[in-house]
Amino acid sequence: MKTRILVIEDDISISELICMNLEAAGYEPFPVYDGEEAEKMVSSLAGGGEEGVSYALALVDIMLPGKDGFELMESMQSAGIPVIYLTARADVISKVHGLRAGAEDYIVKPFEVLELLVRMEKVLERTGRGKEIIEIRDVRIDRKEHQVMKAGIPVALKPMEYELLVLLAANKNVAFSREQLLNQVWGSEYMGETRTVDVHIGRLRKKLDFFEVIRTIPKTGYRLED
Amino acid sequence: MKLWKKISLLTTSVLLAATGVAGGIVIYRTVKYNEMKTVENYEQQLHATAYALGKEISDSGLESYTEATRSSFYNYIVKKYGASKYILIKDGEAVCNLTAFELVNPREERWAGSEACADIRQVGEQHLLILGKKLPADSRSDYRLVLIQDITELYTDMEKQVWLFAEIYLAAAALSVLVIFLITGRLLKPLRKLQQAAADISEGKLGQRAQAGAKDEIGAMAVSFNCMADRIEEQVTELEKVSAQRGMLLGSLTHELKTPMTSIIGYSDTLLHVKLSGEQREQALHHIYDECRRLERLSGKLMSLIGLYDNDSIRLEETEVEELFSRVADLEKYHLKERGMMLETKSDGQVQRLDRDLFESLLINLIDNAVKAGKEGDTICLEASGNRISVTDQGRGIPPGDLPRVTEAFYMVDKSRSRKAGGIGLGLALCSRIASLHNASLHIESTVGEGTRVSVVFRKEA
Repeated sequence: MKTRILVIEDDISISELICMNLEAAGYEPFPVYDGEEAEKMVSSLAGGGEEGVSYALALVDIMLPGKDGFELMESMQSAGIPVIYLTARADVISKVHGLRAGAEDYIVKPFEVLELLVRMEKVLERTGRGKEIIEIRDVRIDRKEHQVMKAGIPVALKPMEYELLVLLAANKNVAFSREQLLNQVWGSEYMGETRTVDVHIGRLRKKLDFFEVIRTIPKTGYRLED
Repeated sequence: MKLWKKISLLTTSVLLAATGVAGGIVIYRTVKYNEMKTVENYEQQLHATAYALGKEISDSGLESYTEATRSSFYNYIVKKYGASKYILIKDGEAVCNLTAFELVNPREERWAGSEACADIRQVGEQHLLILGKKLPADSRSDYRLVLIQDITELYTDMEKQVWLFAEIYLAAAALSVLVIFLITGRLLKPLRKLQQAAADISEGKLGQRAQAGAKDEIGAMAVSFNCMADRIEEQVTELEKVSAQRGMLLGSLTHELKTPMTSIIGYSDTLLHVKLSGEQREQALHHIYDECRRLERLSGKLMSLIGLYDNDSIRLEETEVEELFSRVADLEKYHLKERGMMLETKSDGQVQRLDRDLFESLLINLIDNAVKAGKEGDTICLEASGNRISVTDQGRGIPPGDLPRVTEAFYMVDKSRSRKAGGIGLGLALCSRIASLHNASLHIESTVGEGTRVSVVFRKEA
């Protein structure tokens, strides 16, 4: 089942932008265009308490018609939905206010799609809502067990290869540059070259037969497509 | 040096100098007068004595006397007529001297006249008055009488008086210095307060005012100073207001720019990095195109708004309002037809002084707003009567709470709906600016659900 994400954003073009990306990355977005409607949706959830229909995360704009993003925080918390603010308000006061109120993260517009996805993933992991099992074609990644199976047969991956695979698989259909991969997987202190990434990608492709799945995007980097 | 000290010192020194000089002159004149009186007094004595002595000498047959007799006769008569202050001179020799002094030159020619000749001499500590004259005697011999009087007392008296004067003078001076300092200090106190007020204002306490008590120059100055402070405070408040407005405009501008930027960056980023279906790609491109057009409109409107702020020189021409209306109606024809609306124009045939292009854009903006607010089948009315030109629609109206703010740049009553209609929130700000360049103002009346009437009201020319 896909992870359900609530997208509370009044600007239709931005809302569509977010939804488009979330869909591509394998989430199921639910757009809402004003504050009061969002609150109605969330409070009905809190009353029902049905685990299946809840949302794993809410991306909330601050300046909304009806109730603003700060006012929504309370009902979000009572429904147990983690909040990431996604707003044009870049001032420190708003950031502090948002984070103090209990938001998991605060992203200022204009944002990069990749940054949004990675931050969302971190929040999902932190709140225990990350996907434990990712399936791409016949490959099954069990993040809890740190195990990768291809067609039911375990595949031995080195730690860095495994991390790289998880990053690409969790953000499928989104291209990463070599530098971004290096930063995310090896850490920013790692003084390696981008060649290292190429080598690891080559090994992953070979071990998992992912020659068609992990695509080289010219001038950009790599993308895992299903 | 402080002004009050300067004034006090100057006044005191001038006063003291003047009274000192006057006092000096008075004392000097008194001395001279006393001297003269004394001399006159002794002259009279000398005359009387000389007359008497002359008579005695003439009456006596002195020539026949012996030397010794003559001498004792002289002694006798001099003693008889005067005290011990005369010297009798005969043919240039002192024949009788009862004074304590010795004549150095008995042949003094000054004493040859029948009028007394006075002379004051200082001998040691003493001041001597020496008077001498010829005796009016019928005799072959030349007799002269000399009076010598010690008048030192006159001078010591004078000296005492000078000292007394000096003492009084100094006491008075000290007192007057004190009084002048006090008075000047008190007179200049408002000035010091004025200075304090000015210092306070320069430190930013704009509400500070000087006390305008007395009706003198300083009081008048305090009044003008307060006037000035009022003006400054007014202007500073005005400036602060303008700059706050500018800041808000800039803030909302940044926000207005951010939204389309977010879309454009986001969609192009997505197109570059994310695997999308053909349909999604097209959608993304549409969004980018729309947002770019929005930015273009925004920058166009913004440029004209800034242009209107920077350039106050507009070309006002006598314009027939009816002609203007028909041009506007012509320009809006297709737009209205597309939305299924009608435009009705009514004019009382008036002529106004207008900048045609600017006013045309004002009317088009207002009609566009009316179109956005209205629905199919509505009639928009463009009307000119008296000193007002108005656009009336039958649209959804503006909530009363929003009315005062609709002419603010980037203020939108319903943001998302306005966005969808392609609005950027600058139209009425632009209209209001154009109206004020025409010495007119924008009046907006609106009832929710019934419609809005926006009027440009020209102020009567003074």
